Amino acid sequence: MQLYAPTSTTPKRKAFRAPVLASIDGLRLGILENGKLNAEEMLNEVAQLFVQRNGCTIRTLASKRNASAPAPANTLVKVAQEVDFLLTGLGD
Amino acid sequence: MAAVAPRIHEAPDDLLAAIDYCYEQGWTDGLPVVPPEVGRVKAMLAADSRPAETVISHHPATGLDLSLHAAAVNAVMAGCLPEYFPVLVAAFEAMDRADFNFHGSTASTGGSAPLLVVSGPYADEIGMNSDVNLFGPGNRANSTIGRAVRLILRNVFQMIPGISDKSTQGNPGKYSFCIAERTRGNPWPPLCEAQGYPKGTSSVTVFAGGGFCNVENHGGNTPEQILGSVADAMANYGCITLGQSVVILAPEHMGIVGAAGWTREQAQDFLFAHAKRSVAGMEGVGKYRDREYDTQHGEGAHALAEKGFVHRGLNPQDILITMGGGDAGGHSCFIPSWSRGRGSILQHAAIKRS
Repeated sequence: MQLYAPTSTTPKRKAFRAPVLASIDGLRLGILENGKLNAEEMLNEVAQLFVQRNGCTIRTLASKRNASAPAPANTLVKVAQEVDFLLTGLGD
Repeated sequence: MAAVAPRIHEAPDDLLAAIDYCYEQGWTDGLPVVPPEVGRVKAMLAADSRPAETVISHHPATGLDLSLHAAAVNAVMAGCLPEYFPVLVAAFEAMDRADFNFHGSTASTGGSAPLLVVSGPYADEIGMNSDVNLFGPGNRANSTIGRAVRLILRNVFQMIPGISDKSTQGNPGKYSFCIAERTRGNPWPPLCEAQGYPKGTSSVTVFAGGGFCNVENHGGNTPEQILGSVADAMANYGCITLGQSVVILAPEHMGIVGAAGWTREQAQDFLFAHAKRSVAGMEGVGKYRDREYDTQHGEGAHALAEKGFVHRGLNPQDILITMGGGDAGGHSCFIPSWSRGRGSILQHAAIKRS
């Protein structure tokens, strides 16, 4: 019996990981918070550890209006120009 | 980007072995599926005149597309007949809109399931159930259209439980959540008419439903008593958010509301006015924080409709209300929105006949 596969016929996307940073000392740090109850507080706490331990500077705080939707492309493009790495996470 | 050709699997000719083969491939929702044999898929595709590679929906996070072909394969697996296919296609065309938030509503811990409400003559034409045992079981069209939605989410969009679908507790509606609006004895215009579709055009409404809440009232005899019970269910602390609502009134309850001459709009106004909790009460259970509401719902969206109170939804139009179910019983239902509210906004689309 011949069966069709029930999966998508979209070609596989080529996805790449960003190159690993050799060091984070002194780098510019961005925060992307998702708008949930404790996201900003939690991420700021974590960011402060990078400031204290690695001499990072917090350059930008970006917010998502909708926690569960992907970050808008223009937000990511803007943030990418301003920081060396980005900190994000859930904040419930 | 051009689509790749659909893949064909050589499965055992024995039907039971072919069912087992589908299990082995990880293609099921846990229940046995109809093996998507090539001929059956082609018959399903004949229900839509467009090319099989036509994309009807796109998943924003995975980048995966749903073609008519893939939809037809999963419809066969769910047990759909070809005449059900236009409903399934319309549902995914509606869910494809950004405001439905396809990814969030299917991946979230909130565990919503897409509820489909079919309105208009097409529901009767394909034998959908709008009557007794509305939410099932027993009717092939309702059961299999709803099941096809789940199989597509799993097989096409790869929303796999525990991996990409992180629903904390799931939801029985994630197996199937599809009903027809009852027109017999319904004093209100059908939803498809209220939605502005031309006479004779049916529609499907899609809503990321966060569960099912039975509203029992066998003693109330006025619209205020019946709808007051519904409003109380809508405002329970576990459910209340600024999100939208679906309310399906049982015929007994609708009989009381309709006999008093209440319109759909009056019922919506009443429910919005009474489905509320005080800000102090919301703070007491830890569910009220200005910043979260402002961030997620936009500046100003959180402006209280009534000082000191949080109402369910932002306005009466956030409450979809119609009739369904069997003649006997004072059992209506309220279906809350997914999780915290306005992450997904209900959509509707016309059911197109080929």
